[in-house]
Amino acid sequence: MNKIVRNIFILIVILVLLLAFVPSYTSLNIDNLAYVIAIGIDVGKNEKFEICFQFTQNGSSGSESGQDQKSASIINTVEAPSLDAAINLMNSYLAKKINLSHCRLIVFSEEIAYRGIKDEIYTLTNNSETRPSTSIIISKCNAKSYLDNSSPILENLITKYYEIFPNSSKYTGYVYNATLGDFFNQLVCNNCEPFAILGGIHDNSFNENSKFEDYSDIKSSDNTFLGLRDSQNIGVAVFKGDKLVGELSASETLCLSIIKGDVESFYIRIPNPNDNNKKIDLLMYPDNSRKIDVDIINGSPYITYETKFSGKIYSIDEDSKFLDSDTLDNISQTANIYINDLLTNYLYKTSLVFESDINGFGNYCLSNFLTTSEFKKYNWLDSYSDSTFKVSIKTEIESSFLVTET
Amino acid sequence: MDLFDISEVLGGKVLKNILGIIFIVYILLSSSIFLRNFCECLQIVYYPSTNIIFVILFFIIAICIVNHLQFNASLKANLIFVPFVLISIIFLFCANLRYFTPQRIFPILGNGLFDTFILGIGNIYALNGVVFIYFLPPLLKEPEKLKKIAISSVCISSAYLILSVSIILFMFPFFTGIDEIIPLYTAATYVEFGSFFQRLESIFLLIWIIAFSCYLSIVNKFAMLLFKKITNIKHSKPLIFPFAIIILAISLIPKNYAISKFYEVHIYRYFMIGVVFVLGIVVLALSYFKEKKKKVIKNE
Repeated sequence: MNKIVRNIFILIVILVLLLAFVPSYTSLNIDNLAYVIAIGIDVGKNEKFEICFQFTQNGSSGSESGQDQKSASIINTVEAPSLDAAINLMNSYLAKKINLSHCRLIVFSEEIAYRGIKDEIYTLTNNSETRPSTSIIISKCNAKSYLDNSSPILENLITKYYEIFPNSSKYTGYVYNATLGDFFNQLVCNNCEPFAILGGIHDNSFNENSKFEDYSDIKSSDNTFLGLRDSQNIGVAVFKGDKLVGELSASETLCLSIIKGDVESFYIRIPNPNDNNKKIDLLMYPDNSRKIDVDIINGSPYITYETKFSGKIYSIDEDSKFLDSDTLDNISQTANIYINDLLTNYLYKTSLVFESDINGFGNYCLSNFLTTSEFKKYNWLDSYSDSTFKVSIKTEIESSFLVTET
Repeated sequence: MDLFDISEVLGGKVLKNILGIIFIVYILLSSSIFLRNFCECLQIVYYPSTNIIFVILFFIIAICIVNHLQFNASLKANLIFVPFVLISIIFLFCANLRYFTPQRIFPILGNGLFDTFILGIGNIYALNGVVFIYFLPPLLKEPEKLKKIAISSVCISSAYLILSVSIILFMFPFFTGIDEIIPLYTAATYVEFGSFFQRLESIFLLIWIIAFSCYLSIVNKFAMLLFKKITNIKHSKPLIFPFAIIILAISLIPKNYAISKFYEVHIYRYFMIGVVFVLGIVVLALSYFKEKKKKVIKNE
């Protein structure tokens, strides 16, 4: 008898638990979800925001077969006073629940970024579905156009493209993968400032605006490319607090990548020490042993940055002698001066023009203070504009690649 | 001899019973608060549409099943899963190293000398597990090794705590004043190895759920053993359901996560310090002096 009662009790408990978890299962069931792969946030005409959600078409997103077919994406737009309201409206329109767990990209238009994006970043971070690795892009054009023009060229899946495009930062340094997690951390901390990827679209033609003093001065939306995809991601959008204050060009983004230790190798074009009319192309490898010190001298930050580079020579002509140590020393010296100037100019630009410590030097300043209240009183974020920088670079050009002498 | 036997020597059965009730209340209270907070996090992440009572009920059922088995079963389950927890935290620490900003350890005095060294003493409640050392000797095969066991378990717990706190401190500038489950879960969401190993937080959470069930069953078992000791009842099995229901009831008292967190941070921590570090040590010290005095009188 006891056994029967016990079994009935166990059965009832199992049934109750099953029924209790049905709502959670139903709400998270794949049939009831619409997976967003990117969100674009623009200024609305009637409401505060015009928010577009990009989805992949059912059946094409996960399919490994059909290699020739590119997956089509769908963009739906809604006007709403907030991001959550937009998601709510879109849930109703789609008759499915929007899920952000596969969202790879959040694009803010430049106009929105100038106004401040604090509320949206906090909301997105608070959402348990969003990933901290989601990339944040500030688009020079409106966000919807950016997403419309972001079709993958070499990949079949747009999600794959969104996932891999920031990886070029490792070997170019021209884009820095700014993620939601990093952006939020930088936004809430009082010793650094946030930044995001700078995106834009070009009009697929070369014109007078395409000409630059140095090719590495380009940014997103400059007409430098002709290609199947109109969107491009070069440069960094600099924030002070939650408001956009400026942009970094490709070479300045490279400086940020070097200082943050995020670039594994990069390409530079320096004047040829043996011939002033010529330039020489180098592939540089930053050393991991970078040293950053921040001292407070007469109330102003004095920031020293030391690092080493090794490099190899790309360009070669009919009179190259890259086994000669004097030649290599001369090139090393020139590269040293070039990188030193590049970094120094960049650092002063962040402090004097943007007044924004996107490099995170404030973290290195913390050790100068005994208590948090002393540090807060010093007000690092405002004091950063008074900074003096000393950059020490040691460059060693080792050789060329296959051909060492001609 | 455990703390109860010592207290009986010191103040007779009255002191033993008072102490027993205090420690049983403490153990049930702590497990209920932790259970509620853990389930709140679980509900936020995985069961948004399920009532919290059912999430808690899952753990309560686990406690009942495990405690119906022999004590050895729960000990062996712990022996299997505790290394997994330790490995998961070490893995979490190593996998997130690239996101660390070690400079966040500064300013070295934090919010000031008083806040760090005086108010900070309250954080000792993180070592609440030491309460079990008081009642461990009769359960050991070799009670003379208690000192070694106590030191090694405190060292392991401390290392584990330091790793967890380091992850939170070095990764986030905003989580430092809150609890540890959501920040560690958030840290787990950062773990990615290329595009192949992603979204590992589910595995972490599964390990933590199993480990938490093990912890609850052990705690419940201890509460039953203490009750058995002060009441001299023969079998503790009939206590499984009442104790599990008490834990369920206490964990449902807080109206929401904020109140539950308030109990943990502002009430429980001082209750724990009072019971474990003040009451326990005072009883041990007084017994020591009483024994010493007895010896002196005997020698005279």
